[in-house]
Amino acid sequence: MSITDPPRTHHTVTAIVVSHDGARWLGETLEALLKQTRPVDRVVGVDNGSRDGSATLLTGSLGPNAVLTLPRSTGFGQAVAEVLDRLGPGGGQEWIWLLHDDCAPDARALQTLLWAADQDPKAGVLGPKLRDWMDRRLLLELGVTVDRTGRRDTGLEAREFDQGQYDDGIKDVLSVSSAGMLIRRDVWDEVGGLDPALPLFRDDLDLCWRVRAAGHRVQNVPSAVAWHAEAATRRRRRITASGDHPRRLDRRNAIFVVMANLPFRPLLWALVRNLFGSIFRTVLFLVAKQPANAMDEFAAFGSVFGHPTRIIRARRARAKGRKQSYAAISRLLTPPGAGYRRLADRAQSYLAGAGFVESAGRHHLVAPTQQEEDGEELLADAGVLQRTFSNPGVLLFLALALVTLIAERALLGGARMGGGALVPVVGGASDLWNLYTEGYHQTGLGSDGWAPPYVAVLAALSTVLLGKTWLAVSLLLLGCVPLAGFSAYAATRSLISGRWTRVWLASSYALLPVATGTISAGRLGTAVVFVLLPVYAALATTVLAGERRRARRAAWGLGLLLAVGTAFAPLVYPLTAILGALAALAFPRRGVVVSVVIAFGVPPALLFPWLAQMVRNPGQLLLEAGLHQPGLVDPRLPAESLLLLSPGGPGMPPLWVTGGLIAACLGALLMRRNRMIIAVGWGVALFGVLVAILVSRTPVTSLNGDAQAPAWPGVPLAFAATGMLMVAALTAHRIAEFYAAGGTRRIAALAVVLVAFSTPLLAAGMWITKGVEGPISGTVREVVPALAAVNSAGGERTLILRAKQGALTFTVLRGRTPVVGEADIPVPDGPREQVRIAVAGLVSGRGGDDARVLVTHGVQYVVMTAPVDPEISHALDSQPALARMSLSRTVGVWRLVQPATLPPAPPDDPWHSRWLLAQALMVLVVSVLAAPGSRTETDEQAPQDRSEPVRELATR
Amino acid sequence: MKSLIENRFGLLVLVLVALLALYGVAFATQPKAVAMPVPKAQKVPVASVTAVCPDPGDTDVGVVTPPGGQGPGATTLDAKGKTLATLDTPGNLWHEKIPAKSPPLVVTATGSMAAGLEAAQTREETAGAQRGLAGVRCAEPVASTWLIGPGPSAADVTLHLTNADLAPAIVEIMVYSGEGPVVGDSGGAFTIKPGESRTIDVRDLASSPLVMAVEVRTSSGRVTAAARAVMNNGRGVDWLPVSAPPATRVVVPGIPGGGGKRELLVASISEADTLVEVKALTPDGTYALKGRELVEVPAGSVATLDLSSGIGGQPSALVLTSDTPIVAGVSVTGTGARSEVAFTAGATPIDLGSVVADNRTGGKKSSRLLLTAPEAAGKVNVQVVPRKGEAPPPVEVNIAASRTREIKLPKMGDAFSVVVLPLPGSGPVYGGRVMDEPVKGGLVLTAQPLAPARLWALVPPITESVATVLP
Repeated sequence: MSITDPPRTHHTVTAIVVSHDGARWLGETLEALLKQTRPVDRVVGVDNGSRDGSATLLTGSLGPNAVLTLPRSTGFGQAVAEVLDRLGPGGGQEWIWLLHDDCAPDARALQTLLWAADQDPKAGVLGPKLRDWMDRRLLLELGVTVDRTGRRDTGLEAREFDQGQYDDGIKDVLSVSSAGMLIRRDVWDEVGGLDPALPLFRDDLDLCWRVRAAGHRVQNVPSAVAWHAEAATRRRRRITASGDHPRRLDRRNAIFVVMANLPFRPLLWALVRNLFGSIFRTVLFLVAKQPANAMDEFAAFGSVFGHPTRIIRARRARAKGRKQSYAAISRLLTPPGAGYRRLADRAQSYLAGAGFVESAGRHHLVAPTQQEEDGEELLADAGVLQRTFSNPGVLLFLALALVTLIAERALLGGARMGGGALVPVVGGASDLWNLYTEGYHQTGLGSDGWAPPYVAVLAALSTVLLGKTWLAVSLLLLGCVPLAGFSAYAATRSLISGRWTRVWLASSYALLPVATGTISAGRLGTAVVFVLLPVYAALATTVLAGERRRARRAAWGLGLLLAVGTAFAPLVYPLTAILGALAALAFPRRGVVVSVVIAFGVPPALLFPWLAQMVRNPGQLLLEAGLHQPGLVDPRLPAESLLLLSPGGPGMPPLWVTGGLIAACLGALLMRRNRMIIAVGWGVALFGVLVAILVSRTPVTSLNGDAQAPAWPGVPLAFAATGMLMVAALTAHRIAEFYAAGGTRRIAALAVVLVAFSTPLLAAGMWITKGVEGPISGTVREVVPALAAVNSAGGERTLILRAKQGALTFTVLRGRTPVVGEADIPVPDGPREQVRIAVAGLVSGRGGDDARVLVTHGVQYVVMTAPVDPEISHALDSQPALARMSLSRTVGVWRLVQPATLPPAPPDDPWHSRWLLAQALMVLVVSVLAAPGSRTETDEQAPQDRSEPVRELATR
Repeated sequence: MKSLIENRFGLLVLVLVALLALYGVAFATQPKAVAMPVPKAQKVPVASVTAVCPDPGDTDVGVVTPPGGQGPGATTLDAKGKTLATLDTPGNLWHEKIPAKSPPLVVTATGSMAAGLEAAQTREETAGAQRGLAGVRCAEPVASTWLIGPGPSAADVTLHLTNADLAPAIVEIMVYSGEGPVVGDSGGAFTIKPGESRTIDVRDLASSPLVMAVEVRTSSGRVTAAARAVMNNGRGVDWLPVSAPPATRVVVPGIPGGGGKRELLVASISEADTLVEVKALTPDGTYALKGRELVEVPAGSVATLDLSSGIGGQPSALVLTSDTPIVAGVSVTGTGARSEVAFTAGATPIDLGSVVADNRTGGKKSSRLLLTAPEAAGKVNVQVVPRKGEAPPPVEVNIAASRTREIKLPKMGDAFSVVVLPLPGSGPVYGGRVMDEPVKGGLVLTAQPLAPARLWALVPPITESVATVLP
């Protein structure tokens, strides 16, 4: 000891242990208190009406004179105040050591705290480092701060272990927990002790804030350790100090403390933030199906602002020094950006599979231990980037994306994608929303039919993508291979072990001929269904085999996604419905029937008016979003093609590419295990092929009767492939066993792997070398010439003529190319036939009043697109009712001399908008019911399940 | 069932059998290859026709709608707001002399009167600078008209342009001469207002050409165009018939037999020199022009070829083929001390029939049809529609393949029309009508290729399909 050391003041320490139904911990707490290396000078035990024998424990350890018994509803602060009222001042510098019944200090804790007190005479409050009671290495607190919305912040990661990383010296903090808090009695008296208005939670924060405002220091001493069970927060015991739920209480007190202690100007800002923050969180809780939390959040906010006098009173009491000390205090508050960072963290943890709603607003929460993927836990400490890029699913996605980009080189960067079944993609999200919501479609010849609901899905996706429809369509259609690969990989996570098996399954699935054919022919509907199918399989498995709540949630999710799939390609619904019904019969478990009814009841409910419109023309069920054109299907699809999962049409690889896949699936039949699953998988596959045969042999007339051709069996073949791949993947672990067996078996295993992997590799190779060919093109010429488009502001229609294979086709547009989905709205037969006859007359050049008929249907311009047939252009030229505006080899434009009269739109059907509203509500409700919920229940059960050995392992 | 599944090979056999069954079903249901029925065009009667006779003053005009039309209809003859006549009976030839200095006559027919409406103007002068027989088919408004004939160095050529529509027409005139395209200094396009007509001396556009091809085209609106050539030194007068648009194969029908000069004019509009193969179709068969089967046409210019000895005075038609689009015509000179000219030009086949409105055979006058079937044999019905009185029964005419056949029209006292209708099974037939009269000083004559009648319109098969927006 040198002479420069401050003179040692004489400390006396009065320890106050407050217990309330804490017998479970109290024994250990008292033991720890009495074993201090620097014994306390006085100990007082307070029992707030415990019913579990806490009082007996107290008296047993401290003696009957040192124990005070108070009523059950007494708060912590009140209890301490009661003790101090009855206790005269001790000698020297008196300190009060506050201990909860569930807070056991380390033997050297007091000594270290007092040593720290000697270091800084301005220290008014000192707190130990708090670690978890159960898992003794786990850090709970090293001082606590809040942000301006009252959100608690410990500055620690979730489940951060104490490895001495914070043990470098004493830290100035905004507040320390009242558990283990060492406070100078004069400071306590100066600031008036704990606020009785805060019987529980945040009382310590308020106290420390006031201590700081009074010019003292609040410090955390990391070398002093205490173990804290946080019994009240974690609802290990009932709270009787207040009737409210601890969460609500905590939230209310948090807001209250911040409101009371902030100076006026920051207060206003905090008010606004609190208001919006509370609303946001309430909504978030509602979406996460935690109505209780939402209620608490809202009630907490309401109860603070419902009693303005309380705040005013509290503010008046804290007025002294508040403004002056704020500069120092604001440095200790959570910086403003932390909220957004937390939101980002939360989104990330949600994506990583942890619960949705964090609970950092409460005391620090122990996150549930995840069942890690085999091998993946090794990467747990690596950065996000490494974690992402070493995930085989992500790598597969990237590889498939690369393959796709190379194969689609001709399509990318085009001005306007279209061709095949895809109408050139124009317009933005608002056009799609308009199309979906309007009661009468003025487009084309006008129609009051229901726009297909996939328009709404695309509109929503486009809205997310900043209104760019082309981006949404490109993503879904051109990106369907990597997306399908990723969805197949992710969806099989819980079904199939072995990452390489899943990689094989996902890549084989994603590169099926169905996928390449889908892209070549611009089949947006099949593309979406193709991506969704693995998800259906995963959800259906959960519905049939999952835990009851999860199964129900999965059923809602399946219903919602089935509705999306059905909107894009209606055939999905009957296919899955048949399988679903069979599955419900085959797996008679409790609740399965209801779940299946939910899953298959949601799509008809969501799609009702459109579906009803569809069913009137049953052939439509075999078609999908987009145009039905004879050129896109093989009318004489060979039998072997169907069995080899090749649906025909443009963009097909050679038939033998899928041979390896089929061979591997047939090989799976020889495996002795999982016989039932293999049988089921093959059943699905055979069912899919059967449906594919029927579909490919059924001629279907397109919606507006302009084409008749067999339907394309892409969706049922994708079904069949899903079944086969599941079979093969489920038995793949046997390959590893074979390999391990050595000898000929090893050679056989290698051969099987080679054969199986030949399918995705060959398919990818073929696709890359050939590139995407077929009717789809990245740049489709704008079909409405600018000359006609700019003059159609009043809704005048343009008649487009095109000579195709010796026949003429026409369509009536309204100043622009139709947006996606417009082509799928039925047009009434009457006007269509009238216009058809008039157009036929017009191009024949016979004269007459054909032009007048067109004018009455609102047609103002006649456009002949490339190749301009000289006979037709001559015929149009010879029409006195037409005035030529321009004629070249690529386009001819004529104007009808008479101004067009636009047929008036019929009045809106009031039921239309009502039904749209109902639809929106249903989607909302179903989404909420399907959304992944929080894991609150499992969280709260987790610590109880944890057994004693954990404690034994912990360092003492 | 369960034991079957549990059996290692049982399930395999089961699946294989099922696959085989599916294969069988798929194989059996595979549809037979059926040829897609080629959609056929449908014939419908024309419902409205407009034709403009360019210079009817002091000239005989014949207007006719062939018999057969049903329902109401009317033809109005309108000269600058003054209605000369209204006709309402199909099958009657209206034939009158129009007063002198009449503006262009706009013939508009609707309904039953429209189907096959034909109008022509014919003028004969036996003396003076304009001595000769000059006739022209009244043309309908179009966007592009090709005319080929003598140039301003050889004749006074006047273009008659009329806009009979309701929309203004922006007209541009391109002249191709023997030396190449003529770049006019008048500066391109001009506008003709609705109802307005205009005459243009081609000399103002290009003064030097001896022969020329003219394209009158509109960038907006439509006009009717006709050109009258008055040969220098009283060597005859006639209208240039409208030539078929440029094509790589051109048939020039209606070259009359007999003496006199026959000169082929071929214009190439391409930017490269081209070789045109010339073949004559006479009543005796295909005639390869000895040593002259190839004509070299420099880029963008008009070449001539004297055929007088080549076709040896036989009524004939020429078939020209080339690698690039060409326009062709023939100028015919009559025999006698005072020569007279007539022009014919490339034509289109008369698959839908053809009507010639104004024919005369009285006195020394003779009118002949020259029908050519360059490919398969042709078979047509020729029906005479007299101005007055009963129509004689139609005559069926067969034309052997690759031959030209001359049909003398019957002697009629008055003007008459003639309707040529191909019969089913006929190959493509091209035709021309020649009318001549030996007068003092020599033969006067006029010729015109048969134009497809505005009788029927072909309604192509047409479907409404949104796929139209896709290429």
